[in-house]
Amino acid sequence: MITNPVPGPTAVARQWFLARSDLDALIQALRKAGRTVIGPTVRDGAIVNDEIQSAADLPAGIRDEQAAGRYRLAERSDDRVFGYTVGPTPWKRFTFPPNLPIATAHLSGGFGFEQPHITAPQLAFLGVRACEIAALGMQDRVFLGSPFTDEDFRARRKAALIVAVQCTTCSSTCFCSSMGTGPEVRNGYDILLTEIDEGFVVQAGSPAGAAIVAHLPTRRPTHAETGAAVDSVEAVRTQIGEPLPIAGIDRRLQHQLDNPRWGIVAERCVECGNCTMACPTCFCTSVTERSDMEGRTATTERQWDSCFDVNFAKVAGGDFRARPRDRYRQWLMHKFSTWMDQFGSFGCVGCGRCITWCPVRIDVREELQVIAPVIQPVERPVAVEPVAASPGDFSIARLASVRQETEDTTTLSLTDMDPAFLAGRPGQFVMVALPAFPAVPISISRFHSNGIDLTIRAVGATSTALVNLHPGAKVGVRGPLGTFWPIEDAFGRHAVVVAGGVGLSPLHGLVEALVANRDRFESVSLYYGSRTPEDQLFRDDLATWSAGKAIDVAVTVDRAGPEWKGRVGVVTTLFDMMSCDCSRITAFVVGPERMMQASVQSLISKGVPPERIHVSMERHMECGIGLCGHCQTGRYFVCKDGPVFSLSELGDLYVREGI
Amino acid sequence: MASTGKAVRPRVAVAKFASCDGCQLTLLDLEDQLLEIVTRFDVVEFPEATSRRSPGPYDVVLVEGSISAPEHLDQIQALRKQARVLVTIGACATAGGIQALRNWADHDAYRAAIYDHPEWVESLAKATAVSDHVRVDAELRGCPIDGGQLLELMTAVLVGRRPQIREEAVCRECKRKGIVCMVVASGDACMGPLTTSGCNALCPTYGRGCYGCFGPRTGANAKSWSAGLMQSGRAPEEVWRLFAGFTGYAEPFRSVLTELGKSKG
Repeated sequence: MITNPVPGPTAVARQWFLARSDLDALIQALRKAGRTVIGPTVRDGAIVNDEIQSAADLPAGIRDEQAAGRYRLAERSDDRVFGYTVGPTPWKRFTFPPNLPIATAHLSGGFGFEQPHITAPQLAFLGVRACEIAALGMQDRVFLGSPFTDEDFRARRKAALIVAVQCTTCSSTCFCSSMGTGPEVRNGYDILLTEIDEGFVVQAGSPAGAAIVAHLPTRRPTHAETGAAVDSVEAVRTQIGEPLPIAGIDRRLQHQLDNPRWGIVAERCVECGNCTMACPTCFCTSVTERSDMEGRTATTERQWDSCFDVNFAKVAGGDFRARPRDRYRQWLMHKFSTWMDQFGSFGCVGCGRCITWCPVRIDVREELQVIAPVIQPVERPVAVEPVAASPGDFSIARLASVRQETEDTTTLSLTDMDPAFLAGRPGQFVMVALPAFPAVPISISRFHSNGIDLTIRAVGATSTALVNLHPGAKVGVRGPLGTFWPIEDAFGRHAVVVAGGVGLSPLHGLVEALVANRDRFESVSLYYGSRTPEDQLFRDDLATWSAGKAIDVAVTVDRAGPEWKGRVGVVTTLFDMMSCDCSRITAFVVGPERMMQASVQSLISKGVPPERIHVSMERHMECGIGLCGHCQTGRYFVCKDGPVFSLSELGDLYVREGI
Repeated sequence: MASTGKAVRPRVAVAKFASCDGCQLTLLDLEDQLLEIVTRFDVVEFPEATSRRSPGPYDVVLVEGSISAPEHLDQIQALRKQARVLVTIGACATAGGIQALRNWADHDAYRAAIYDHPEWVESLAKATAVSDHVRVDAELRGCPIDGGQLLELMTAVLVGRRPQIREEAVCRECKRKGIVCMVVASGDACMGPLTTSGCNALCPTYGRGCYGCFGPRTGANAKSWSAGLMQSGRAPEEVWRLFAGFTGYAEPFRSVLTELGKSKG
């Protein structure tokens, strides 16, 4: 019966008890109703779905052991008849036959094409599991869910009565719980059996199912029996657990088209296509023409095909998916990503057949977790417990001195403050407020023995008020907040600092730390660009650093008067001076957004590993502790998870506009 | 040709080199279609079936057997010149056949071990596929070939289209037939994933792993499969025998065998 869309579970479904010794009555009732019963039976060392005549054909007392590339039968310690999981036969075999004549053509007696008359056998599927019901539903959407339908499928699906069975055991290859398709059967059945020690708890899911059940020698189940049925299904869910973290995997995969793992798995894959043949949802086919020797009558037969076939995407001029990795990617991405776009669900039900029946033991769960890993929640070390951590709370500091850096930028030295501020790390920031002025985030540009420096560009109300303060004034501060420069990531490597304009401020403390620990790095370089010579920050320090041997300093300006003897051009033009092996660079980058993007792209193109490129992001921050929501960038709260990130943490968030 | 029916009867020749004649017999075994074949084709040269001989040119030449003896070298060139369409049939003609096993051995030692007068036997050191010597227009694989594929080829020649011969893994046929994979369910050795289909999974249907007699399919990942066989505990000698068989001299089986030979020392 087509049971999709299906009614939800009825409030309190009527239940019956059927003794195991009476199971044959069900099979005979189905047969008497004119149906051929297809059910599990042992053949060639496996439990296949095939025609059965009686309950004696069922695999009583048999269980299966499944692992990647391995399937074995073994004996159970009881006489249960459904004490195993899914075997090699997907039910699509009976709704979507592997070989199907779809047309005949003839020249004799007039030119014409004819479609065969559709005759669907009246079948009963016995032993359909939750994942398999989900799979039938997925093929419903493929074949019947668009204006173009497969009428042969429709007829076969309609003619099949579904006797579902709750799973009371699982295999190592099962992951229905991850895919949301099982283990419990909730709908899509005509009759539902749950096997317990003495027999079966029976439910009907449709009038056709109820009519069959009415002929069976059932009785009302006891509470113990219905309880046991519920418990056994729950136990299976616990047993399966959550083998594949699925949330967002369709989107995660979309960003992994070039992941090198596709090539690695393709080296193992033998492209036999067994995964697609065993898959209960795969629906690709090809047609073959057969004709008489004259070519006057011909039949067209449709056959299961596979996207792993080397000819599957070929045209006369070449092959669109010429490499094995292309074909593997096509298959896996279809199942877990593009199927979602096409049909609104995953194309995988988690039955695990593709894992068990892969002769080279490829486990899709493993591949997915390597190719599109779940991004773990961000957990970052806290440098020091911040002072005044709640948004309305401020610690008081005194302004010790004020130094004009450029026309619009000023450095405030704060002192008489909580010692926790002094334990902060370069890259961190503080929230600074004055009475009646909203708090603003300001990065710490230098740590003193008795205070910190904040270098502030006067652009808003609070920052303008701050730079106009006089020594001795009081300010409210919260912090130190956020992440800091991972200086240890540059140990033994070339440390490269790239700054643009006031971006040197959050890097200033880092440069001082690099210089102080100079012997731990292969080299230390600073590339600094500003609009004009007059816009350079910390000119005294730049001069000192340039004069010393600890650090190579290169500066450039966008424009300058004739008195400027240095470089003119954007900061990336300085990168030509990098003569080292760029794969051994660890870079720290801050500046205006576009300058940072250009710098990062240039560094990557030179071979600097993305995980070794660290940037500090500027975003709208109000609370500084991940509560107000302003600074959210993708999955990050920039204030709490940043502002310092590695490029690999940011991924393509970094180059996207409007995030 | 399709619409003219009997008006044009393509001239067909069947020739053989080093082989057992089994593939030619497959043609003769097409008993139900044999009359139609000889009605629609002019089978002018077929020593296995008739002593009547007829020189070329021929429209279609079916070639069985590998190039194995010195005289074959000239014969295949001459045959090619007489053939409009040259089709190789069977593992010997398409891959060198089982006699190509000598290609990894000492040819003179083999000859001396078998024949009293090895000097009377003229043979080449290596048995090779016909396509190593002349251009081949189509291949029918297998030891022996599949009668259905042969009929399809003959039909395609008459109709004037490409033969509808799929080149997929034997596994595909196995799965469509509903055969339980014996590699997974029994741990048996099978060459199905690497082997070109066309036999309708004949050996697995009878509970035996695929021998690979249809030879490697395009893109066969022989490296992964041989590595996997050894990982599952098979000795290199056993893997060697699996790949050697009927089509071992065809790439990429040949490379696997060469590698295994090296590792054996």
